[in-house]
Amino acid sequence: MSALHPFSLLAIAAALPAFAWILPAPTGGLATAGLALMLPLVPDPRWGVRVVRLALLTAAPFWLFLRLLHDGPTTVAIGGRITTMVASFVWLVAVLSPDRLVEAMVARGWSLAVAYVFAATLSAVPVLKARARRIVEAQRCRGLSPRGSVANRLRALRALALPLVLSALHEVDERTLALETRGLGAGVPRTPLAAPPDRPAERVARWALLLLCLAALIWRLA
Amino acid sequence: MAVNGALAFDGVAFSYGNVAALRDVSFEVAAGERVALLGRNGAGKSSVVRLVTGVLHPDEGTVWVGDWDTAGRAPEELAWRVGSVFQHADQQLFARTLREDVSFGPRALGFPAPEVRRRTDEALDALDLHAHAAQHPYDLSPALRKLAALAGALALEPTVLVLDEPTAGLDRAGRGRVADAVREHADRGAALLVVTHDLAFAAETLQRGIVLDRGRLACDEPLDRLLTSAERLKPLGLVPPPVAALSVALDLPGRPVRERDAADTLARVAGGRSRS
Amino acid sequence: MRILALEEVTFWYPATATPALESVSLEVGSGEVVALVGRGGAGASTLLLIAAGLAPRVTGGRLAGSVTRGARAGIVLPTPWTQLSGMAFTVWDEVAFGPANLGWPEHEITRHVDRALERLEITPLASRDPVTLSGGELQRVIVAGILAMDPDLVLLDEPTAELDPEGARAVWRLVRSLAGEGKAVILATSDVDALPGVADRIIWLDQGSVRALGEPSLLAEDAMCEAGLGTTVAGLWRAAGLGAPYPLTVVDAAQRWR
Ligand SMILES: Nc1ncnc2c1ncn2[C@@H]1O[C@H](COP(=O)(O)OP(=O)(O)OP(=O)(O)O)[C@@H](O)[C@H]1O
Ligand SMILES: [Mg+2]
Repeated sequence: MSALHPFSLLAIAAALPAFAWILPAPTGGLATAGLALMLPLVPDPRWGVRVVRLALLTAAPFWLFLRLLHDGPTTVAIGGRITTMVASFVWLVAVLSPDRLVEAMVARGWSLAVAYVFAATLSAVPVLKARARRIVEAQRCRGLSPRGSVANRLRALRALALPLVLSALHEVDERTLALETRGLGAGVPRTPLAAPPDRPAERVARWALLLLCLAALIWRLA
Repeated sequence: MAVNGALAFDGVAFSYGNVAALRDVSFEVAAGERVALLGRNGAGKSSVVRLVTGVLHPDEGTVWVGDWDTAGRAPEELAWRVGSVFQHADQQLFARTLREDVSFGPRALGFPAPEVRRRTDEALDALDLHAHAAQHPYDLSPALRKLAALAGALALEPTVLVLDEPTAGLDRAGRGRVADAVREHADRGAALLVVTHDLAFAAETLQRGIVLDRGRLACDEPLDRLLTSAERLKPLGLVPPPVAALSVALDLPGRPVRERDAADTLARVAGGRSRS
Repeated sequence: MRILALEEVTFWYPATATPALESVSLEVGSGEVVALVGRGGAGASTLLLIAAGLAPRVTGGRLAGSVTRGARAGIVLPTPWTQLSGMAFTVWDEVAFGPANLGWPEHEITRHVDRALERLEITPLASRDPVTLSGGELQRVIVAGILAMDPDLVLLDEPTAELDPEGARAVWRLVRSLAGEGKAVILATSDVDALPGVADRIIWLDQGSVRALGEPSLLAEDAMCEAGLGTTVAGLWRAAGLGAPYPLTVVDAAQRWR
């Protein structure tokens, strides 16, 4: 699956939520949600299960809020759509490596800076997670326990929040400087390194997805 | 195994996935002893530090911190005995002011406020950081951040102090501050294990050298003997520091490796020569 | 050929009243190695950022005086772990990140990357993920990543801080061979003992100003030893009460001793 061209992955991750909102509720949303949750299981079920679990955990609070605000049928209707969005995004982040996306975008003539911002946004979650892990590790070495009672956990969470935000802000400056030193502002088109191959079949499939979306839209509006 | 040392590795092996970092490493550090951990880039030194702090646990063998086996112990528990400075110490600072940061450990361990204050003051004192106490850690230079992280470790008043490259990027004055602070801490009975490429600093401050070579223990002996032996150092990626090299080149009696000793010997020998 | 000229440069970081650098003038030509020495905070890092064209453009702040750069600069920051692209999952791609950004043809990139990996002795790490490297391995990768961009002005801020002693020696030899290829090198290091065999000129920075400049023999002078910036051997000679001039290196001392 991760061998697919990054644009194909993006197209799938965009098409599923589009269908979820276009197709009639609740069947449409539930069907796309099912599809989105099945996607990660295709290449490697064991890895996939973890992705699905993360997607479900992220989607759960939405269901809760929806249920508080709406009646049963509406909850299911919107919940299916939201689950599709969440699951598609979680899958995309898990399957799309930012460096391949950058190379693909650069190969297609996008400016490096734009490609970089795009890819950095996609990888923001794992980067933040890694940073949080580092901070927690250092804090534990200084005696702060993130386990035990609820009060303990809350204390640890509070201790993490501030340095996480501060270091993220600090890193923006560091990052800008570092990327400048690595030629990001060189002002010439970047040479794509090993641009991911884009098979004709994939292109056709992407166009087909787009046309299908449009067709569905026209069908619903007509 | 009977444990006498404040810190002991007993047949320790560790791998990161398929990268083997340490193989069958055994050594002991006694209370009050000052030991250098040396070796090439990638030899496994930082992995030793992470094993002592409990951030990592051995695949084989045992790491002892006093009479505690680190297996099954979390870093926050080991923090009662172990103080550490990571190689990239600026990732180790997380409060709004330097003072608050140094006091983080004692507060996390739950000491009462007066005790927290005492420890914080002493640690700031030890590294001469009072002038920066109100500054934000990120506003400090990388060198000062390094000292700040060391102060944070000292405030735990650990019986085992493990430092990863505490002098990297520091000027001579900074290196001197680190040397004084850690020597004083060891004199109070702490075991000291310092990872360093700065052999001059090691010669001045530490007593014994443990050298890792591709994850294995290659040698463990007094530093003054090790550092004056260029042939022994070479295959380990090490080079004699200037004082040791001078001692050998001038054939100074006793082969001193510390600046003070070498200067005294030099003066004595030169005096003797001019009289004869 | 002149590669960099600073004239009466004064620089203030954002929101600071005292300049980090004050009235510094400096010319560096191709084939020259200039070393900046001084206490921490004396302004060496700032000078390198200015030489690289990053201060004030990226760092912010204010600059007075003039900076003329006749060639492309490459800078190794003192905190190599912050200098990773974050966009490469192998060491090879990490080192190729800069060259690719310069838009070179692919075979040129390959040639420069392979050469840089070899020069820093990290060819065996080529397929490793950069975030799993040891400190010194990472510093080598960053130095390689900058050299692979083939800058004519090479700026090195504590490039050996995390290298093992043998690796540090190799980097200092590399600096000489870069100069031999006609590059200009400015470096800041606290390892003054390495400088006699490496630097053509020494600049002593003190609280943002140039206190003295001259040949490496400067590192054996009384004032520098007094400030803790002389070589270890010179300092020892002085501490032993043996008269000036002090020997600069172990080799000098041995000759003098006979
Ligand atoms: N997270 C990791 N994943 C995989 N390999 C790792 C990881 N961390 C370290 N290694 C590898 O383990 C070996 C030992 O690393 P370690 O950081 O202990 O070396 P070191 O002696 O501290 O080196 P340096 O002097 O460069 O800091 C190295 O080959 C390194 O590449
Ligand atoms: Mg290390």
